[in-house]
Amino acid sequence: MGATVQELLSKYGLIALLLVLPVVYGIQDLRDDGNLAGIANNLFDGLSNGAIIALIAVGYTLVYGIIELINFAHGEVFMIGSFTAVAFWGLIGLGLGSSVIGLVLGLLLTLLVAMATCGGMNVMIERVAYRPLRGAPKLAPLITAVGMSFILQNVGLLWLGGSPKSVDDLIRAQDDLFTVIGINVSRADLLAFAVTVPLVVLLTLFVTRARLGKAMRATAQDPEAARLMGINVDTTISLTFLIGGMMAGAAGLTYALYQTTIWFFQGFQAGLLAFTAAVMGGIGNLRGAVLGGLIIGCIQQISDNRISPSWTPAIVFAYLILIMVFRPQGLLGEETREAG
Amino acid sequence: MTEDPILTATRVSKIFGGLVAVNDVTFDIPRRRIVTIIGPNGAGKTTFFNMLTGLYRASTGRIAFEGRDITRARPDRITKAGVARTFQNIRLFSTMTAVENVMVGEHARMKAGIVGSVLRTPWVRREERRVRERARELLDFVGVRKDQQEQLASNLSYGDQRRVEIARALASEPRLLLLDEPTAGMNPNESLRLTEFMIRLRDELGLTILMIEHDMKVVMGVSERITVFDHGEKIAEGDPATVRANPRVIEAYLGKQEAA
Amino acid sequence: MRRRFGARTLPRGVNFALAAAAIALAIVFPLFFPPGSGWVDDMTIALAYVVMGLGLNVVVGYAGLLDLGYVAFFAIGAYTTGWFMSGFYGDVNVHVFVSEFTKALPGIHLNFLLVVVIAAALCAVAGIIIGLPTLRLRGDYIAIVTLAFGEIIRVFAIEGNEITIAGNAKLTAGRQGITPIDKIDLPFLDQFTSLNLRPWYWTALGLVLVVLFVNIRLRDSRLGRAWIALREDEVAAASMGIPLVKTKLMAYGVGAAFGGMSGAFLGSFLNTVNADQFAFGFSIFILAMIILGGLGSVWGVVIGSLALSLINTRLIPDVLNDVPSSLGLDFNLVDVNYGIFGFLLVLMMVLRPEGLLPERRRQIELHEGTPGDEALVEVTHA
Repeated sequence: MGATVQELLSKYGLIALLLVLPVVYGIQDLRDDGNLAGIANNLFDGLSNGAIIALIAVGYTLVYGIIELINFAHGEVFMIGSFTAVAFWGLIGLGLGSSVIGLVLGLLLTLLVAMATCGGMNVMIERVAYRPLRGAPKLAPLITAVGMSFILQNVGLLWLGGSPKSVDDLIRAQDDLFTVIGINVSRADLLAFAVTVPLVVLLTLFVTRARLGKAMRATAQDPEAARLMGINVDTTISLTFLIGGMMAGAAGLTYALYQTTIWFFQGFQAGLLAFTAAVMGGIGNLRGAVLGGLIIGCIQQISDNRISPSWTPAIVFAYLILIMVFRPQGLLGEETREAG
Repeated sequence: MTEDPILTATRVSKIFGGLVAVNDVTFDIPRRRIVTIIGPNGAGKTTFFNMLTGLYRASTGRIAFEGRDITRARPDRITKAGVARTFQNIRLFSTMTAVENVMVGEHARMKAGIVGSVLRTPWVRREERRVRERARELLDFVGVRKDQQEQLASNLSYGDQRRVEIARALASEPRLLLLDEPTAGMNPNESLRLTEFMIRLRDELGLTILMIEHDMKVVMGVSERITVFDHGEKIAEGDPATVRANPRVIEAYLGKQEAA
Repeated sequence: MRRRFGARTLPRGVNFALAAAAIALAIVFPLFFPPGSGWVDDMTIALAYVVMGLGLNVVVGYAGLLDLGYVAFFAIGAYTTGWFMSGFYGDVNVHVFVSEFTKALPGIHLNFLLVVVIAAALCAVAGIIIGLPTLRLRGDYIAIVTLAFGEIIRVFAIEGNEITIAGNAKLTAGRQGITPIDKIDLPFLDQFTSLNLRPWYWTALGLVLVVLFVNIRLRDSRLGRAWIALREDEVAAASMGIPLVKTKLMAYGVGAAFGGMSGAFLGSFLNTVNADQFAFGFSIFILAMIILGGLGSVWGVVIGSLALSLINTRLIPDVLNDVPSSLGLDFNLVDVNYGIFGFLLVLMMVLRPEGLLPERRRQIELHEGTPGDEALVEVTHA
């Protein structure tokens, strides 16, 4: 009995905690402006921003689900995704003057390239830094993951230098497309959803329907049993890193178009946000990662907008600590077999 | 049989998620006896052990040791109160020597604090020496040869590892000793020696012993009382002869084994 | 017998002689250089890092709790000097055991020895507070929670110039930094100066020796055995009567206190306390030191910390800095020093996880694995 009460208390406690920011600033808006447009816009921007975080969070959750490793370098893979995307669209000549058709086709191609690069890179990282340590104590691969993260960060640093670099605003991201009940929907918002929603749907279908996806879930539940069932565990783990990396690549391109600024440190920041999102949703749980991403996006947006961007990391980390302590299983529970 | 029990468990249950691992078990351990729990795999014996030693918390019910409620007590407190255990799959600290392992067992009986340890006061020095000597004595007592005592635990033979684990448990000066399948992996000769050893523990040190055991020869040879678990419930209890004759036991456990 | 390979098998006497020789050499070292030499400067910082390495070693090496937020204690230790050894709080005048010269300055000015004690105490408390939420968590979650605390403290350091404590007094000076900090002023000696670095060096060496002594004494004590037991197998440790909560918190507290002492020293030595000093990378820098040397091995940690520190202050900027450009690459090696530390981490973990000078126990764990990974203990709460 006690356990159930605790379970409900921690779950609804967490939900209540998450509602603090929107409710406080919603009330403030009502008092100051007489309507909720301000907070509604924050929340909507938060969702589109969160869609990108969700794509990254999926990579953390997939990898954790299968080998119980916090792939610390994942945020950096995403950063490299952004860099690759910007370099590639420059290479194929996309610019402010490109035609609409050219832009659409070119960006689709860029998307594929960014996904392939990041997917491949993630697979390589697993080979080099994690696979040799599979039998070692659990902290060993975590340490190499941190090491990989620093290596990649410095690759980014050498690539584009130490300060943020603005890139061509190819899609005119901040232009509003339309306004619904006081919420301004910009091109950037639309882009974020247009990339994230199909990818997440496809991923979910893959994990639940495809043979390889089922192998992933089986390996996540019990690698030994999966091996006995004839599943090649090494291949399955590589596949997981491939998919996680591809999602990070897609997020990388979307981020570059959405923010129109990229820099070597974006991966560290976004990585920690995404990791928090994955934990919030229940690490190992796909739906949870997406939900967590959207929520973290909203928290970030409200904090950036209403408090100060410099306090955002502290606020997100405070949430992370509270969740880890009081509800380590997250909102939806740590259940890979329910993924999708 | 219920004269002055050292430990009583009253209507204890353990539920994992929806699964009932131990269901409404009432159980006591008479002082200075050797009591055995038997039952098929998955009957909830080890779960029950883990509740007695504080590793799991009982979902319902009450456990008392020497009249003190320990239902919600922490494992280290229970050890300090006088309950020590061994594990089914030996859990020695593999990077420590046999002597160091036993010294860890004495942790609860030591007093050295952080400042004393840094300054290594004469008092702390004496305590260290005393504890080390006692560890050696205990290893002698359980039959680990002197030349094996400074070996790393992971380098010891299987039988010696079991013996070191018992010495480590004895180091905390328990009044109740819980042994989880102590003869697993031993040959009949070693098992016999261990049985004799348990009787010595009871008679010389005045210990009460509760064990989980599968080897029927050991069980019938040494137990003064046998409790039978099946599907998380206590299905029979009594002296070896009574239990052996109980039809439910034969059906649940002995029967299967004889058929096999 | 592979497991014997590389383990410390030297007789006690030889070990003792080696240690004595190393310490003697360390004491006379600065006499070979001019008092203001860059070598003395770099070695002083290296020694301060050794203190941090030894502190982190208690938490990660002995107790097996992966702390990725160790920079927090550098920050708290350094800010202790910022608060209590500078003119930062110019509206009040408190002077305790300081030189005539310092007495004339506004602000809070306490003697360095007092400040070291305060820093150690503050950090021990902070270490315990940070440790508390991690008690029930698995190893990798501990890493993330400590990282999160480190980052939160960094945000407070950066934004501290906006946080008012009382009147005009702020929490920190943010990125501007609190400067200058009083020079160390030890009893019976003249106040240190920035021209003669030898006293600084010897003070740092003194800290190293104290911390080294405490490290070794604790390792070979009841508490040290308890740490190693719980690192190997929490379930068995708890069942042997080791209180998990108390034992873990002791590790956090002791490790943090050492970090604070070093932080206080560096605050005074570097003459500034600046929020930008306390980035996540610093935690990894210290972690890389102890992994390089060998987790849990006291002498390994000393060697690893000295080595990495000198790689950072000497090898990369002075010796190898031009290597990329001589290969036709357009960057300086200093820019990517953290990438190099990351590379070292990966390389060490994959090729020689036990470190350069391994601890006997750790080597066995890494090569044979330990049983205690499954979390059986339900009841590890306070």
